[in-house]
Amino acid sequence: MLQCIFLLSDSGYYSVSYYQFVTFFRIIEPMVLDLWFRHREVMLEKQLTGHRVDRSICGWFWDQSISQGDSFKQLPVIASPTHYLFQVFREGITFLACTQVEMPPLMAIEFLCRVADVLNDYLGGLNEDLIKDNFIIVYELLDEMIDNGFPLTTELNILQEMIAPPNIVSKVLSVVTGTSSNVSDTLPGATSSCVPWRTADTKYAQNEVYVDLVEEMDATINRDGALMKCEVYGEVQVNSHITGLPDLTLSFTNPSILDQVRFHPCVRFRPWESHQILSFVPPDGQFKLMSYRVRKLKSTPIYVKPQLTSDGGTCRLNVMVGSRNDHGKTIDSVTVQFQLPSCILSADLTSNHGTVSILADKTCTWNIGRIPKDKAPSMSGTMVLETGLERLHVFPTFRVGFKMMGVALSGLQIDKLDLKTVPYRFYKGFRAVTRAGEFEVRS
Amino acid sequence: MAPPPAHPQRSPSPSQPSGKSEVTDLRSQLRQLAGSRAPGADDAKRDLFKKVISNMTIGIDVSSLFGEMVMCSATSDIVLKKMCYLYVGNYAKVNPDLALLTINFLQRDCKDDDPMIRGLALRSLCSLRVANLVEYLVGPLGSGLKDNNSYVRTVAVIGVVKLYHISASTCLDADFPATLKHLMLNDPDTQVVANCLSALQEIWTLESTSSEEAAKERETLVSKPVIYYLLNRIKEFSEWAQCLVLELVAKYIPSDNSEIFDIMNLLEDRLQHANGAVVLATSKVFLHLTLSMADVHQQVYERIKAPLLTQVSAGSPEQSYAVLSHLHLLVMRAPYIFSSDYKHFYCQYNEPSYVKKLKLEMLTAVANESNTYDIVTELCEYAANVDIPIARESIRAVGKIALQQYDVNAIVDRLLQFLEMEKDYVTCEALTNTKLESSSMQVLVKDLLRKYPQWSQDCIAVVGNISSKNVQEPKAKAALIWMLGEYSQDMPDAPYVLESLVENWDEEHSAEVRLHLLTAVMKCFFKRAPETQKALGAALAAGLADFHQDVHDRALFYYRLLQYKVSVAESVVNPPKQAVSVFADSQSSEIKDRIFDEFNSLSVIYQKPSYMFTDKEHRGTLEFSDELANLSINAEAGDSAVPAQRVEANDNDLLLSITEKEEGRDAASNGSAYSAPSYDGASATSAASQSLADLAFSSTSGSGQAPASSFAIDDLLGLDFSVGAAATPSPPPLSLNPKAVLDPGTFQQKWRQLPLSLSEDFSLSPQGVAALATSNALLRHMQSHSIHCIASGGQSPNFKFFFFAQKAESASIYLVELLINSSSAKSQIKIKADDQSTSQAFSTLFQSALSKFGTA
Repeated sequence: MLQCIFLLSDSGYYSVSYYQFVTFFRIIEPMVLDLWFRHREVMLEKQLTGHRVDRSICGWFWDQSISQGDSFKQLPVIASPTHYLFQVFREGITFLACTQVEMPPLMAIEFLCRVADVLNDYLGGLNEDLIKDNFIIVYELLDEMIDNGFPLTTELNILQEMIAPPNIVSKVLSVVTGTSSNVSDTLPGATSSCVPWRTADTKYAQNEVYVDLVEEMDATINRDGALMKCEVYGEVQVNSHITGLPDLTLSFTNPSILDQVRFHPCVRFRPWESHQILSFVPPDGQFKLMSYRVRKLKSTPIYVKPQLTSDGGTCRLNVMVGSRNDHGKTIDSVTVQFQLPSCILSADLTSNHGTVSILADKTCTWNIGRIPKDKAPSMSGTMVLETGLERLHVFPTFRVGFKMMGVALSGLQIDKLDLKTVPYRFYKGFRAVTRAGEFEVRS
Repeated sequence: MAPPPAHPQRSPSPSQPSGKSEVTDLRSQLRQLAGSRAPGADDAKRDLFKKVISNMTIGIDVSSLFGEMVMCSATSDIVLKKMCYLYVGNYAKVNPDLALLTINFLQRDCKDDDPMIRGLALRSLCSLRVANLVEYLVGPLGSGLKDNNSYVRTVAVIGVVKLYHISASTCLDADFPATLKHLMLNDPDTQVVANCLSALQEIWTLESTSSEEAAKERETLVSKPVIYYLLNRIKEFSEWAQCLVLELVAKYIPSDNSEIFDIMNLLEDRLQHANGAVVLATSKVFLHLTLSMADVHQQVYERIKAPLLTQVSAGSPEQSYAVLSHLHLLVMRAPYIFSSDYKHFYCQYNEPSYVKKLKLEMLTAVANESNTYDIVTELCEYAANVDIPIARESIRAVGKIALQQYDVNAIVDRLLQFLEMEKDYVTCEALTNTKLESSSMQVLVKDLLRKYPQWSQDCIAVVGNISSKNVQEPKAKAALIWMLGEYSQDMPDAPYVLESLVENWDEEHSAEVRLHLLTAVMKCFFKRAPETQKALGAALAAGLADFHQDVHDRALFYYRLLQYKVSVAESVVNPPKQAVSVFADSQSSEIKDRIFDEFNSLSVIYQKPSYMFTDKEHRGTLEFSDELANLSINAEAGDSAVPAQRVEANDNDLLLSITEKEEGRDAASNGSAYSAPSYDGASATSAASQSLADLAFSSTSGSGQAPASSFAIDDLLGLDFSVGAAATPSPPPLSLNPKAVLDPGTFQQKWRQLPLSLSEDFSLSPQGVAALATSNALLRHMQSHSIHCIASGGQSPNFKFFFFAQKAESASIYLVELLINSSSAKSQIKIKADDQSTSQAFSTLFQSALSKFGTA
């Protein structure tokens, strides 16, 4: 049972003063600088049980994260002298929950992730200013999401009916009608309906369902250029606006390729088990119907070939990128990113297509954009190693990003979508997109 | 990214608190508005409330506005109400008298037509937590539980728990638990049912310590009818409520096998749930139900494998870490089941290092004949990674796999390649980190050589080229020295390298390295006496003069051995080697089993059973069977000392590398600075350490005869024994202050501060074990030896005691933690002392006192 939730902001440094300081006083321990200039505060505190958790725990938490460096910063479950802390870090905001009792850790972490997601949806983004401007709404939401330390409802649809999101429409409405309350007067029907994710009486003039296949390709290519791992993680995202209580069935032409499926609570298990058919009563609006993974794919649509040769204190780098496309679709937003090893003093890299940039933290990014039809983009240049070092001994990993519209690389195809029970005509729309997920090429 | 520090134009944002004057300002504004019924008043109020709450949020004390806030709270605007409730809930506790003012409007709101307002008001009413207002709670709660709107009922149910925490007697007098039970079994709304369940668990668990009846009620929660009722409705529950129900089901013990299968069939689709918490809770149910059926248990592993692996790759890094920790547990229990899924444990470049570390451990565990080649190839790619700690970790993993005996040829080849690759940098004297890498390599190579003597020839060629000057890390240096001693016959310049090391004895800060150096010189001496003779003499002299107790003792021991008979000394120091087959594991299987019992809990993440890191009072309201570690028999200190120990244990864990683990095997010392490893093969080690101990304690009397019997050896080694004899700090007979006093707080503080100076395992006499049965017998017995108990606890067969003692005529305190397992008659002591040098003597004293226990 969680006892308290804190929202902490930790959005980096006061930019100007910090960097000026760093340049002037390089001698000072970075840790001390961290203490002085890190911008940290408790934005929100929500006590959940009678055992009040003192704010000082946040101080402990910060001290720890400073003293432990970055690896600690991210460890999601920590033991402090008095409490066990769960933390989830999103966009410069730490969601910190405290407990003193033994509890399922994943429940706490899942819940915090869910809080982050809900806030993200409500506020149209997640950052310090948004939270501070809307802290009343955040309080209201937390109030409904968790009581006495136990999660109640985290279903976005239902929360939206209890507490209206602070969107422009409602702001305009409030000006026009004069009622500026963002709390709806009626209780959501779903709290008493037997389909907890859907209200009983939704009405639409135009009935429509959009199904999107959103896929991410994870691939690892090893030093010899062999494909070690190539899988696709995909989600079926549905946006449904249908009157009444519709019962939908969705089927695929090749469901056998799916591996490891996870469903939204609305999906009935039996039809899937026997016929690989998704049968469900959809929540209203946007939701994630299922997620899946397709393993053991044979090829990637793009190839990246890095070559590193080093001798006599310099290192030559050459990276070739090209499309291996048999889908006929163009590959967009191609980027190649890698971390220069710390022993490299300087690098001079140029490309025949796109732009190359190297940041202060030695991250090198090559933005290619769309791969041209007529030539293969390549980047090359030399890097100077630290004095005394003859050859390079650590090799960077190249992370590749790309996007392909209109194709699901897993090969998954939707067969048909039917509506049972409600005899309306409705509009169906299908789309697909594939992005690069963890696509890495080792050198 | 970084916002500018000030936003002067945005007043409601709490970025710039100005403190006191603002509060007075707010007060006067609130007063003006209090009575106003003007049309715009609500908007003005809302702005003001927002300011007050934003001040509250950033930690400014605005409790002085309580009266004004309450006056303003008469409103119909629901947002205003909510803000007001929030404020009141936060400050009622410190303003109990003023809180009375709010009761009125809250009670009125509890009868509002709008169920939303009824619910909100009830929730706030119960959150006031003011003890003298409980009488006002009973009425609204009673009607709330009967409300026809489910939202109000869910709030009311939780309200009952809150009431229970404020005043248990009021809650029980109003017979709320019975009402909740009725609701749980009959309410149509599943959220109400779930809340009832969580409320009843909490109330009855707390109540069961004092009341028999409540304990019985608690048992009925896991009875067949209740479990079946909940299981049949499980799909209606929200995901969080499902977790709660599944947690309960995991405690249920089905009567026969068909029941087990029914439950598993019913729950099977839960494994496909999108919420990871549900999946893990279901896995727990499956694992627990089938514990008694070995073959089905196996199948359960197979069944839950895929869903868990999906969870790892689907969620955020935080989620996947939690799932991975659980997978880690399963992998360690049944590596063969996961051996074909090793590719799941390959690391991604930008994963956080804590995830990578877990994955590396799992890769090590699942390695077998068929996949070793792939895994090692993959690990070798990490070794050239930019991430240095992970690179080291993966080299270590390669070594561990090699020790598991699969495909050794290839692995040793690879390791040697590393060494050669590393050699480059060492000669370049490039970076400290590359040195570190090479040092971890050497530690590994040493381990390998211990295990596969036949590889030594190849390795030596490589190792011989590494100059000892370039190795800084004590561990690696010790490893290198060990190799120099062990293979001195094959390395031409070994004696000279050792000699130069001995010359720099005083510059060597690590006791471990010095110990190794002593042993290595001895070994070298037996193989190449003429060349080493001088170095040995110097080493023994330096060793005898060493301030470190272990180094001194070992030097003395070697010296006496040589005096006694050189051939005996050789057989002790240089026995025929046997390859090490298995290295001792760090965690006992008992602990692993316990962690497994606590699947889906924090224990798994910390990789420790909960009794090692939680206080009893916090051990979860859901805990139904807490068999172990009831540590609070004598005093609270015992309880609270546990977290301190935990913190330290954590540190140990972090430091534990493979070498440290196996050193623990040697001298039962926990890889602390005091470890006295002698790498002389299993049989010799025990003999050696035995005689070492004997010698050390007879040295007071022994030193008298020493000069007489020291004849040829002294001359041979060029030793002036008077140095050695004079330098022998004879351990003074340790006497304890019989009237020592220490309060629990100081004990705790000291326990936390002091480093562990000694840890030993030993067996108890059967009489001693028998005498344990009488409570406090041990405490009285130890007290007669001037060792006082400060806390004790535990239930058969595991007992735990905390003792302290004070050195006579000195302020020096010894703290002892004693763990006894009465069924195996094994016990373990951990000693911490102000005066580290006498802790060994104290340990002997303690053990001799303990060994007399039960005999007198």
